[in-house]
Amino acid sequence: MKRYSDLEFLKLSKGQKFLYKLTSFFAAIPRAIGNLFLAIGRFFKNLGLGVANEFKDIFTTFKEGDWKTRASFLVMGLGSIARGQVLRGLLFLLFEIVFIFYMVTTGGYWMSMLPSLGKIGPHDEYNAVLDAYTKTYGDNSFKILLYGVLTIFFIVAFLYTWRMNVKQNKIAQEYLKAGRRLKSSGDDLRSLVDEQFYKTLLALPLTGILIFTVLPIVFMILVAFTNYDGTHDGYNNALFGWQGFSNFRTLLTWSGSGVNYSATFGEILTWTLIWAFFATFTNYFLGMFVAMMINKKGIRLKKLWRTVLVMTIAIPQFISLLYVSKMFAKNGIVNGLLLDLGWIKQAIDFWGSTANNGLLPRVMVIVINIWIGIPYLMLIATGILMNIPADLYESSRIDGANAWQQYTKITLPYMLFITGPYLLTSFTSNMNNFNVIFLLTGGAPTNAAASGAAGSVGYTDLLITWLFKITTGAEAQYYLASVVGIMVFVVVAVISLVVYNVLPSIKNEEDFQ
Amino acid sequence: MASVKLTKVKKVYDNKVVAVHDFDLDIKDKEFVVFVGPSGCGKSTTLRMIAGLEDISDGTVEIDGEVVNDLQPKDRGIAMVFQNYALYPHMTVYDNIAFSLRLQKMPEDEIYERVTKAAEILGITDYLLRKPRALSGGQRQRVAIGRAMVRNSKVFLMDEPLSNLDAKLRNQMRAEIILLRQRLDTTFIYVTHDQTEAMTLADRIVIMKDGYIMQVGTPEECFDMPKNLFVAEFIGAPKMNVMETELIKEGGKYFVKPFGAKIEVDGAKGELLHEFNAQPGQIILGVRPEHIVLSKDGEHAIPCTLEVNEMMGSELHLHVFTEDGTRLIVRVPTIDLTAEERSGLVRGKKLFLSFEGKVMHFFDKESKKNLLIREE
Amino acid sequence: MNETLEKRSMGLRASRTISNTLIYIVLVIMSVVWLIPFICIVLQSFRVESTWQVGYVIPQQWGWDNYIALWNSDFKRWYLNTFIIALAVAVLQTVIVLCMSYTLSRFRFKLRDGLMRFMLILGMFPGMLTMIILYRVLKDLGLTQANAVPGLILVYVASSGMGYYVSKGFFDTIPKSLDEAARVDGATRAQVLTKIILPLAKPIVIYTILTAFMAPWGDFVFARYVSFGTSAGMNVAVGMYGWLQLDQIGQKYTMFCAGGVVVAIPVTILFMCLQKYYVEGVTGGAVKG
Repeated sequence: MKRYSDLEFLKLSKGQKFLYKLTSFFAAIPRAIGNLFLAIGRFFKNLGLGVANEFKDIFTTFKEGDWKTRASFLVMGLGSIARGQVLRGLLFLLFEIVFIFYMVTTGGYWMSMLPSLGKIGPHDEYNAVLDAYTKTYGDNSFKILLYGVLTIFFIVAFLYTWRMNVKQNKIAQEYLKAGRRLKSSGDDLRSLVDEQFYKTLLALPLTGILIFTVLPIVFMILVAFTNYDGTHDGYNNALFGWQGFSNFRTLLTWSGSGVNYSATFGEILTWTLIWAFFATFTNYFLGMFVAMMINKKGIRLKKLWRTVLVMTIAIPQFISLLYVSKMFAKNGIVNGLLLDLGWIKQAIDFWGSTANNGLLPRVMVIVINIWIGIPYLMLIATGILMNIPADLYESSRIDGANAWQQYTKITLPYMLFITGPYLLTSFTSNMNNFNVIFLLTGGAPTNAAASGAAGSVGYTDLLITWLFKITTGAEAQYYLASVVGIMVFVVVAVISLVVYNVLPSIKNEEDFQ
Repeated sequence: MASVKLTKVKKVYDNKVVAVHDFDLDIKDKEFVVFVGPSGCGKSTTLRMIAGLEDISDGTVEIDGEVVNDLQPKDRGIAMVFQNYALYPHMTVYDNIAFSLRLQKMPEDEIYERVTKAAEILGITDYLLRKPRALSGGQRQRVAIGRAMVRNSKVFLMDEPLSNLDAKLRNQMRAEIILLRQRLDTTFIYVTHDQTEAMTLADRIVIMKDGYIMQVGTPEECFDMPKNLFVAEFIGAPKMNVMETELIKEGGKYFVKPFGAKIEVDGAKGELLHEFNAQPGQIILGVRPEHIVLSKDGEHAIPCTLEVNEMMGSELHLHVFTEDGTRLIVRVPTIDLTAEERSGLVRGKKLFLSFEGKVMHFFDKESKKNLLIREE
Repeated sequence: MNETLEKRSMGLRASRTISNTLIYIVLVIMSVVWLIPFICIVLQSFRVESTWQVGYVIPQQWGWDNYIALWNSDFKRWYLNTFIIALAVAVLQTVIVLCMSYTLSRFRFKLRDGLMRFMLILGMFPGMLTMIILYRVLKDLGLTQANAVPGLILVYVASSGMGYYVSKGFFDTIPKSLDEAARVDGATRAQVLTKIILPLAKPIVIYTILTAFMAPWGDFVFARYVSFGTSAGMNVAVGMYGWLQLDQIGQKYTMFCAGGVVVAIPVTILFMCLQKYYVEGVTGGAVKG
């Protein structure tokens, strides 16, 4: 295709401009993908080089080290203690002792069992006292996996600490050679509230994240490669074991154990994306619209209107959503009212109608989500609208723009620019908006075509509610849930990556500053 | 009261950008040194490295003979005034000034003594109980200085302290800084991008560009003997006129031939050219606007056309174009012209310019270095 | 000439009046739509004649019966549970979030960028997934069912460091030169935080406390998982959800309404008092991304 220079581009008509942009967007895709692979390649190259450098450094440290340094290779912290940095040295030493103790007592066992996830399952064993076969429990796959992962974390931490210990020795040696003073234990302690204060501050939050977020996520990713479910709970009824990629195959290929998972998955994914799209943009534009109405010059009682809307944020969602869901129930207030008014002859089944792939309930959740979401967006939009410099509007009025043009040429671009990242996060969090769907419909009405899949799938089910149903369903197919969870991650990550790369707020950070 | 010594100080950012290259400088006790240069030249970075707010990538900084690379800002015995004042918005002026003393656990009555004394010197006694928000720019500036003053520190650092003030206030504060300096009698390091501030305040100026030191010297040295074209153009306003021209040697005399004119390099500069045995050829000639005079047509005059006439009050700035389109600026004292002559200076008027040999500066065409200064 | 100008300005005024009237109409309708559910819930909570769902709004017989029934049910326990959780989370989560966001805003340490990117990626995993294992871990620690309260606090607080975005955005707006001035003045980094930054960060501290306090009142999924059918360990959301299930809705519908009112009132009052800070936080958060 013909490429235009930036100035030539200006000469094109509107349609030509659009066409040109479109074609160049698609033309850029192969290159972007190429770049991605190059970046991945670079990453691994750098990683390899980095590791090689580390080893080289460790080697030279040993070669050029004095006895203190060399001894520290085996007994961590020895060098530091010998050079007067007692506190540091003792901490290194303590860590090494704890690590060795842990590995000898339990860690070794978990590591040895990790490849098999347990050898002996629950079985009947002859009990001489009772003269009968009684159920005996063997290994616990769940614990093996959990503590195995934990042990790997621990080993990584140990290797890192060991490396730090070696590096410390090298630095200390260099300092002493250059005649500089080493930090004393007192200095170390003092620096924890000063230049190293970040370590103090981060210690607690990061430990929490590591144990309660990272560890579970790693665990659940691994579960996707096992057959962990209600009938293989790893201890009481049967062990579970590694299954390779078979669970992914089940979800992604047409063949499955009697159930068409890929179709179900595709259907739910489509609805999830539709839902996220509408939930995000209806709220966004209507919220902006409301904010603009309230902010309009000459409108009085601004505070009242705002307060009414904001008040609804305060009320916990489970109350408002559950109540609204009941209002629209078959025997709820809305139907009662409409019947009394004689507008309808028969109660409308707002949540149960399966006509047109559950169109009515689907529209209902989107509409009620608007009711939930507008107040937030109104607040956000108000804040941003007030920050748009008034002279932009004044100059555009002098240039002859009417209200609509002002909106499309000034307000909207400004808003979109400022809230670009917010829109992205709001889209992805809507994809995972468990509360609204679960409290309103619980995923209902049931999708007969897909209900064969795990955890009876409904028309309003998002991936996230499906995931929930799978884990709490009768079969509790945890492995399937974690495959779905990984897929959700992939979808969110891809969308984020793509949007992030085209977002003007990221690309031209200074435009509106 | 202390000397500051920087040895091969280097700043490399994470993205491998080098902000400061091997910076060497010896600052004597009680000296007032100004770092000056265009934005991004590394002057603030250097100051912040002395203060300890920026890590030193390589080299050493010594204050009073002690290497302070590994010391925290608070342990370096420095005080600093920031460009945007950095007053603590939630504290009153009194608390702002007393902050550092309270951190030293000084008794309150002694703090009171010091704060009120500083406030008196700076004339902010009436505002002691106000919050910074309620102060004007100049008053905030004084509070910031007061905060630095009470600490009795060894070195006083100032990072563009006047750049947020309007022109009039800036002149006033500049004078006050000179007074302050006399009173405090300590070592000052002052960063600015304004050459006027540098010239008026400094004992020694350090002119920087792209992380390199261009010249270190007294204001007079920098003005009279710029080491290179950059310094020549940076110091002095309006900036020095620069012309590419030929240096020729005829009968033991040097001549330059700017724009068709042929002007002899006489006086001290001519002698220096001989002393350096300057080779004839293409060079860059620099002449300051105030050193050009209006003259009559002739072999020694440059013909040109007047484009803009700026009336500055005590002087006129004439922007003229030579025949080949080069733009020159001439500064003419108003008092030298009659009213008639002045009213004749309108756009399109033909003028003839000339200058003497002693006001000329010669720079190498390639290296842009001053031909009359020996490399150290 | 003058006349046409006048006419034009008259037209301008008239069209403004019309558009303003339209806006008022829309605003009034909106306010009604937004308030109706809450008005309904209050009215129904006073209904005495029946306890199930009905098709009309105004009770035929008014009374406190539902509130009395509430008092005599497990609701008290749930309410207390939720309140304790909310209080603990408000304190601990605020501390953690502030630590995290201050650090990421002010320190430039080696792993900072990597850490932030890592947390961004972690956030893309559906949190729902980790429920199963967190439940098992809590169970091993004996913090489920009747002991669900400390367990829930632990889980809420532990991963709260990931929610640092809004307050980091706020900290980023406090000029760094204040930190630097304080450090030159002799403050350690810890003193900079306590003496300079925290007093200036009051709005965001209140915002963090407020959101942290409000969240537990609505948490449903995980709380249900952890309490697992044990009434003593439930929070209000889990407990009251049960009342609207098919087997109980006939007897408990009006009680649910009353419970909703009791839960909503204190939270709403608190929220309205601190509204200003909430608005600041939300707007700032959206702008910073």
